[in-house]
Amino acid sequence: MRVSDVTVVLQRIEAGDEAASADLLPLVYAELRRLARSRMRSEAAGHTLQPTALVHEAYLRLIGPEESAISGGWDGRGHFFAAAAEAMRRILIESARRRRSLKRGGDRDRRALGDPPEQEEDIDRLLDTDAALRKLESQDPDLAKLVELRFFAGLTVEEVAAALDLSPRTVKRRWAFARAWLGRELGSD
Amino acid sequence: MSHRASTTPRPNVAPGRAQFVDEMSIFLRAVDIELPGERAAFLAEVCGEDAALRSAIARLLKEHDREDHPLDRPIVRPDEADRSAEEFSGEATLRFAPPDVGETVGPYRLREKIGEGGFGLVYVADQLYPVRRRVALKIMRPGTETGETTARFEAERQALALMDHPNIARVFDAGATETGQQYFAMELVRGVALTAFCDGARLDVRGRLDLFVSICNAVQHAHQKGVVHRDLKPSNVLVTLQDGRPVPKVIDFGIVKAVGPKLTDQTIYTGFRAMVGTPAYMSPEQAEMSSEEVDTRSDVYSLGVLLYELLTGSTPFAGDRLREAGLIEFRRILLEEEPPRPSTRFSTLRMDLATTAAAHRRLEPARLASALRGDLDWVVMKALEKARGRRYPTAAALGEDVTRYIEGMPVEARPPSTAYRFSKFARRHKAVLGTATIVAAALVIGAGVSVWQAANARIAEGQARAAETLARAAESQARRSEAEADRSRDELEEFVDRLRRATDLLGKARALADAGDRAAALKAHDQATEAQPRYFLVWSERGLFFARLGLWDRAAADFARARDLGAPATGAEFLGVPQLFIYTNRSTEYREVARAMAAAEGRYEQTELRGRLAGPLSRSEAARLAVAAERLIEDDRSEDDRSDAGPESFDRRGRIPDGVKRYIAGWAYLRAGEPDRAIVRLEQAAADRRWYGYGIVSPLLALAYAEAGRPQAAAEAFEVAERTLDGYLADAAERAEGVPPMPWFDWVEFLLFHRTAVARFGSDRDDLEERLEALRRRTLDGLE
Repeated sequence: MRVSDVTVVLQRIEAGDEAASADLLPLVYAELRRLARSRMRSEAAGHTLQPTALVHEAYLRLIGPEESAISGGWDGRGHFFAAAAEAMRRILIESARRRRSLKRGGDRDRRALGDPPEQEEDIDRLLDTDAALRKLESQDPDLAKLVELRFFAGLTVEEVAAALDLSPRTVKRRWAFARAWLGRELGSD
Repeated sequence: MSHRASTTPRPNVAPGRAQFVDEMSIFLRAVDIELPGERAAFLAEVCGEDAALRSAIARLLKEHDREDHPLDRPIVRPDEADRSAEEFSGEATLRFAPPDVGETVGPYRLREKIGEGGFGLVYVADQLYPVRRRVALKIMRPGTETGETTARFEAERQALALMDHPNIARVFDAGATETGQQYFAMELVRGVALTAFCDGARLDVRGRLDLFVSICNAVQHAHQKGVVHRDLKPSNVLVTLQDGRPVPKVIDFGIVKAVGPKLTDQTIYTGFRAMVGTPAYMSPEQAEMSSEEVDTRSDVYSLGVLLYELLTGSTPFAGDRLREAGLIEFRRILLEEEPPRPSTRFSTLRMDLATTAAAHRRLEPARLASALRGDLDWVVMKALEKARGRRYPTAAALGEDVTRYIEGMPVEARPPSTAYRFSKFARRHKAVLGTATIVAAALVIGAGVSVWQAANARIAEGQARAAETLARAAESQARRSEAEADRSRDELEEFVDRLRRATDLLGKARALADAGDRAAALKAHDQATEAQPRYFLVWSERGLFFARLGLWDRAAADFARARDLGAPATGAEFLGVPQLFIYTNRSTEYREVARAMAAAEGRYEQTELRGRLAGPLSRSEAARLAVAAERLIEDDRSEDDRSDAGPESFDRRGRIPDGVKRYIAGWAYLRAGEPDRAIVRLEQAAADRRWYGYGIVSPLLALAYAEAGRPQAAAEAFEVAERTLDGYLADAAERAEGVPPMPWFDWVEFLLFHRTAVARFGSDRDDLEERLEALRRRTLDGLE
């Protein structure tokens, strides 16, 4: 994929082309998948996949510091990160499910040498969070989007605020509620 | 999951939208109420009879206050090794969500943000209980080594409580919020930074000296309570007017130590500029960041800088340039460069600056220069001595000498003797002196011999002229060295520029390498070495890049270069480098590094242990290393119960996995001639699947069995080693990097052991070197 693809889509979105949003997700998803795979391969030894870093890296790779200035800075970034957060969530969930089934199914030979040790707890936590987040989505899709940006793309309050066009204070308060709500849903007391 | 089984109806099992909205609005109002009693009352009021709603909100609030909330943990525990990516994306700062005005932190409600620095944010805040008062609240950015920081923080707050001096801002309280943000509540000082006050009030030299003496006394008080400031600078000395008299107050005492990150070479990587804060006021020993503990005399140095600035209007070394300088250059300046004396500095200031500075001190420029010349010069220079033993021993002694000057008494500080000055001069200008001294010595000897020989008036006259020539030569020499100082300032600027470019390129290189674009990453690395070849990090980073690709020779050459430029031999960055030197037959480089490591005796970590075990070693030394390794295993046990870290090569606290420790211990026993003990540890290490390199134990185990006189077991273990090697090679061939999926230092150690084992047991394999070479060729092709 070429860098310009994403930039073009972002420019279309900013120009008011609603349909363009639909084109963004697959592009970002593909790039994140590619990055995640290459990272997991090259870093299998000693390093773990770090979604937040990946999202930011994908941003730099797809849009780049120079291009982002041209294509309107935060407006474009907001759309990008929204897509990236969703893509990252999907990738992580897919990967968690795959790892879960691998564990049940075997393929033990390939694990014998140097594969990263399983992080059972992380997988559980991820799948549970995803399920809880889906419930939240059914109540308040906007709030779920906010959680996605914070949790899966690792954006700061300020960045989320810019991406969703809210005030940082609102973001902070809404995040506090979502966090508490999800915590209760996860029943981790 | 207890409440799922409870009989309370779960409001969110099939909640209506209305209920959801209610919950949110009640929750948000409730979190605004800090006092638990008021909060409960509010809930009782809004929920009325609806017990289900009330308990649902209560659970939300409980989750809200929870410290170990699942959503606060990153999705996958970030790894030490991933820090580069983290930095690149700025994530280290993303985690710190600064609180907004109006929010409460502990018992404090924030009113107004008044400052922001490398360590955190400062707010004006109202303390709500137990007493109501207005304070300055400093909220710290979370450090990376949280556990350690917390311990230091605890220790320091005790000390801070002991200080009580009219010129020191009191520290009322120190604590941490539920999210782990540490804060200090301090006396709110509505003052102006020292230098700004002095210039704004056009304080004369005498007035400035008076203020300075009060500051010295305050610092002395803190020192007597065992608190070193570590970051004295004008913005940490606020001046207020009390009954029309200026009163200085030193703020932030001891806070650097309490929460500041430890200054290590590693910190250059994690944001050198933010860490050191204010390089212009830093003592040489702080800049050196050696293991030597910073002591009260470092504050004396900073006081010297403060005095210098009060007198001349600028710091001894231009602050903005130092701040931007790289670590190496910064150290060099502080450790080697002699600052101009205040009077000289003043007379060489640009005319406009000099006039401003003089006007601020209510003096004619010429008169200011002469006021500074002489004793005051020496007082300042004594405080600024590079060697702390030559400085004033205490802040009080400095203050007393300034008082002596004010009272017209002879000061303690003396101009250095000629011999002393010459020796310093010689140190600084070795090359120039080479020829100059020879010429001068020839003149002096010639003159002496002549005087002794003859009483001829004509000759005597000639000698007088010769002496004059010599004096003039010395003078022009002195002028030249000032010009040199100017030049070196210009060079510094250039240096800083290049350093910035190099740092940017290194970040880029890392990101590219992480993304798998190795050719582009190499290009960025190469550009970084060109941009700033005097910076060790550009070499060690490229070395690391090569090592991760198994390009051993190139890696070793780069690491050697980094070491020449002052890269520290200990610490995680150098893990594996000595082994690499051994593997690539660089014995000179190895010996040098091993010596440096041996000097770090007592603080052994795996870099030193593994590094030294790979090279020539006496049995008794090896036995000492074994003891150190056993101690590491012990440490781990004691930490087990609070272990929140999963199996990993390094977790955030830099802990070493147990398997690795056992492996190191086994290796050390083998080197110490204790194969039986070695076997116990190595078998444990090989059975531990929680570290990535466990396969590398096999050849070592084979050697241990052989040593213990168990040829059968040795042969079997060697067989395993050969099979492991095949597996690794197959993995390596499959991966674009051309190395098996394990840390590069594990891989190089495995190859080392394997080489030794083959020498001992023989092998029918004759293609290993070829296969490794083929992998390297393929990798190199990919870099083109």
